[in-house]
Amino acid sequence: MTSYQSQLGDDGGGAVAEELAENQRSISIAEFFEKNKQMLGFDSDAKALVTAVKEAVDNALDATEEANILPDIYVEIEEVGGYYRLVVEDNGPGITKEQVPKVFGKLLYGSRFHARAQTRGQQGIGISAAVLYAQLTSGKPAKVTSKTERGDGARYFELTIDTDTNEPEIDVERDTRWERPHGTRIEIEMEGNMRARRQLHDYIKHTAVVNPHARIEFEEPDASFKFERVTDELPPETEEIRPHPHGVELGTLLKMLEATDSYSLSGFLQGEFTRVGAKTAESILDNFRDRHFGREPAWRSPRARGETDVEAAVADAVANKSAEATAAIAERLDGAIRDRDRIAHAELASLVGELADEIETEFDQTFGSTVRENAVDAAWGEIIRDRASDCYALVDGATTTRKDDAAIEGLADRLADKFDDQEDARNRITREGLREFVGRAADATEEYDDATFGETARENVVEAVWDASVTVPDDPPNVADVAGDRDAAARLLEAMRETDILSPPTDCLAPISEDLVVAGLKKEYDADFYTSVTRDASVHGGDPFVVEVGIAYGGEIEADGGVDVLRFANRVPLVYQRGACATVDVLKGVNWRNYGLDQPGGSGIPNGPGVIMVHVASTSVPFTSESKDAVANIPEIEDELRLALQEAGRGMQSHLKKQRSLRKRRRKQNVIADILPDMAEKLSEVTGREPLDVEDSLARIMNNVLVERATDGATVRLSVHNYGDTNVSPEITEIVTTDPGEPGGATVVEMDGEWFIKWSPTVESGTTATLEYDADDDAEFDISVDGVEAEKLTVNT
Amino acid sequence: MSTESDTDVKDEIAREQLIELASDFYDQFAEGNVPTMEIPTRTKSNIVFDEDKDVWVYGDRTSTRSANSVQGAQKLLKAIYTIEFLAEQLEEERSSTLRELYYLSESWDEERAQFSGQDESNQLVEDLEIVSEVTREDFHMRPEESGATIMGPLYLREQTRRGEREIHCQEDVGEGGYQIPNNPDTIEFLEHDADFVLCVETGGMRDRLVENGFDEEYNVIIVHLKGQPARATRRITKRLRDELDLPVVVFCDGDPWSYRIYASVSYGSIKSAHLSEYLATPAAEYVGIQPVDIVNYELPTDPLSDSDRNALQSELDDPRFQDDYWREQIELQLEIDKKAEQQALASRGLDFVTDTYLPERLGEMDVL
Repeated sequence: MTSYQSQLGDDGGGAVAEELAENQRSISIAEFFEKNKQMLGFDSDAKALVTAVKEAVDNALDATEEANILPDIYVEIEEVGGYYRLVVEDNGPGITKEQVPKVFGKLLYGSRFHARAQTRGQQGIGISAAVLYAQLTSGKPAKVTSKTERGDGARYFELTIDTDTNEPEIDVERDTRWERPHGTRIEIEMEGNMRARRQLHDYIKHTAVVNPHARIEFEEPDASFKFERVTDELPPETEEIRPHPHGVELGTLLKMLEATDSYSLSGFLQGEFTRVGAKTAESILDNFRDRHFGREPAWRSPRARGETDVEAAVADAVANKSAEATAAIAERLDGAIRDRDRIAHAELASLVGELADEIETEFDQTFGSTVRENAVDAAWGEIIRDRASDCYALVDGATTTRKDDAAIEGLADRLADKFDDQEDARNRITREGLREFVGRAADATEEYDDATFGETARENVVEAVWDASVTVPDDPPNVADVAGDRDAAARLLEAMRETDILSPPTDCLAPISEDLVVAGLKKEYDADFYTSVTRDASVHGGDPFVVEVGIAYGGEIEADGGVDVLRFANRVPLVYQRGACATVDVLKGVNWRNYGLDQPGGSGIPNGPGVIMVHVASTSVPFTSESKDAVANIPEIEDELRLALQEAGRGMQSHLKKQRSLRKRRRKQNVIADILPDMAEKLSEVTGREPLDVEDSLARIMNNVLVERATDGATVRLSVHNYGDTNVSPEITEIVTTDPGEPGGATVVEMDGEWFIKWSPTVESGTTATLEYDADDDAEFDISVDGVEAEKLTVNT
Repeated sequence: MSTESDTDVKDEIAREQLIELASDFYDQFAEGNVPTMEIPTRTKSNIVFDEDKDVWVYGDRTSTRSANSVQGAQKLLKAIYTIEFLAEQLEEERSSTLRELYYLSESWDEERAQFSGQDESNQLVEDLEIVSEVTREDFHMRPEESGATIMGPLYLREQTRRGEREIHCQEDVGEGGYQIPNNPDTIEFLEHDADFVLCVETGGMRDRLVENGFDEEYNVIIVHLKGQPARATRRITKRLRDELDLPVVVFCDGDPWSYRIYASVSYGSIKSAHLSEYLATPAAEYVGIQPVDIVNYELPTDPLSDSDRNALQSELDDPRFQDDYWREQIELQLEIDKKAEQQALASRGLDFVTDTYLPERLGEMDVL
């Protein structure tokens, strides 16, 4: 299982299944499904129903959005003779007969195995799994009705999957009638139960939250909901991008190698991956060469050792050529080698090639390959003659000065011996091979020379020799060869990962957006306060991702216990395995007390009337397992989650602060508003004076804005006293039943015998604005004041 | 001195003052303002010496009780209820004790106006005294009987609720002496044969002096202070000084708390500095026990506690103790780190205080 997970996590569902199927070809598809049920989300009857709904709804949403249609989804669950019948309808573009098996039956041969796009589809194994599950448990075919926009009516299909050949088959096909103008309807019957009703409801409700552009209707035996559309804005189309070299797995790479039209690896890399140009491809290929062919150590040229036997050796080796030509090549080669510090075999070979060509033209003689090889061998013999001292210099440079000289010499000699004994005279060696050489030489030195070479010392020696080695110029194998050689492909993958490559572009993601997160939350939660955060895109592995957080707080949200956490990946609600999800981990780790929430112990899910929504959108969301219920703990994603939660938390904190201060003010106002009239009553009792009105004093005490009306003959005067310490700009509308004339600074609108007089004065702290208009004696008034919080407003008219 | 019509006039004035106060609040409401009541800050940092009257009174700093906070509004509500109660009490010519006021508030229908403790009602009455400039006694509010007494060659007439009584404070009283009434202004001094007034802090010492016949031997009016003296005790002390022109001396324990007793007799207390003119006896002098006596007479002592030391330190900052004598004594006491009670003098024999200590000290002070 684990071995799958590591490979599966980053892939589209199809690729997974494909790989699975490859390994399981010998068994029947039913058996295969049975064995992998858990991974596919069908491990219990209850969960199977949720998974089937999820797959069908995701499919429906994707289908409509891809066709630029605002989704209108209908989901129905019905109990029929011991089975559950699931019907999902969408208003998508409809599908043709040819597409039916592909869409609903291609369990094991997904087509988008290397597409990198933020789709819901990658969330599950696909609707076909539900079709198969239904078929296996109830024996009934999937019934598909579809109507395209072409206007040729609806078609009805019955689809089964042949469990011997794994091929989908259409058993029944006929015209039918369907009231929808276009769309697709799937009906499957399966074993199941409604024990996961809460998860099912959550899934539907949460889907509505993140898809405010969708209208969703849901009916099950005991309940039905309708979620209306709140925006006509479709999510932007997500662009597919080619995969990033850092984001693919071996299985995918193999598939890509098989599928590509490229002949060369360089062409393949540039053509199939994002952010790979000629230069990057060459870097990758160099890394690949090092792994595939190994490097060739470059040894010091004899000049550096003070010997000059190259000329003689080459002269000896070159037979049957004119003396001048022989002398010339020997001399020039000697000179060329002398000019170099170090030289590897391949470099020598190319040097010899160049000089031989040169001499050929100059002396009009032919230097065949044998002669050239002989010259190379002769010179090489000289170059490696004192390899031990070369090794000594490398080992000495790589180890600490404290090492005993004899020990260094011992190691160097033994290492040189290893190269001498190498079958390949060019000394080609991979890093692994080199490590083995050094290891063995060091072991022997420890044994015989009573010295110690620890891991670090050994690794330093390996590093020194590797650095002194050069990448070979050999052409890498072509695509077909690598595709057929799993080990070579693995080396290519390693080389891709090793190479520094620009991060993938992030504009291919379509986050929900801050506005629509709030709109979605508002739609389903009647809260006091909403906030949302959409972070900038970031990258994990080879895949860009965006984290979004939304918070709804207060109002009608249930206050008992912890806040509700809504998790989403690519707009799909995650229903199960909440405890294993990185989103929840990070959320629990945030100190919510800083943001004014109650959080016992300073960690864990905070308490209170809140809903926290977390959305991770990516071209490939990493999940903890194939059932794709929990986001894996990837550090880059966790960091972004934390930042997003904190940012949203800060938004909420300022709201809560304000709420608290208003609450306090309300409490104070209540108490004082209670006491003051009593005081006033007592005072008029004691003093024997007429009853008092305390509103003015109360407004002043509460630093409130006080609006009063006084009538002076035919003039009505509204006074707006601002007892607060900041300026206010209230919007005051007086509705009066007689013509107010033309009051200054106001707009007057007459409607059915009522005049709406509207002022928007700015009243500075501690001052009073007076608004006047004319009215008859029998006028009736009705005032409304906006733009001042209710707690800070006293209307005394 | 106080006739029936006098009392009526006085009551009417007090009542008017209270109603006036309520009218102020009324006016504040009527003008749309926030009702407030301003009173002097009653802390030791806000008392100043009034050179004309020779007493300590409140300074300029005030604190405001305002209805703009929940607490302030409640305080003012209580004040208004209390004003109403006091005004009615004056009208009906009745009186009540501070404690009765506290319990009476329980019967008010407005729960928010009820007092949460005796301290609160006591303080409110003091606040009202200050702002209305009418004394508590004139509101017909009395404290619980303090039981302080006078013993000495003094003949007086008391106006009791049951008629006038003429009493001689040696001949007409038992060993307990003459009990000072709550409102000593109902007393008229008729005759006396006294040379000076001796205020004594503790009951034990007062009894010792009476038993030893000190009042008779030296023609002393012994006023028992009973700890921190009640207003009535201070008032009568002041009247003995002012009306009979007698020297007044104060005899207490030798600890910081006793110095404060002296200070309240002599300079007025911080809590009732608004009444200093009426209650304080600036001429009163301190007999002892002085810290220097502890040294000179080698009295048995107790070590100072932390609170004693703090009290002494605080007295060094107290404007009432800002003179050389007190600075010296307090610093000496802090240095020896000891205190002694009046009764410690008994370590030299029961008669030592009357035969030796007091005659010596009073001689030094030129009282004898």
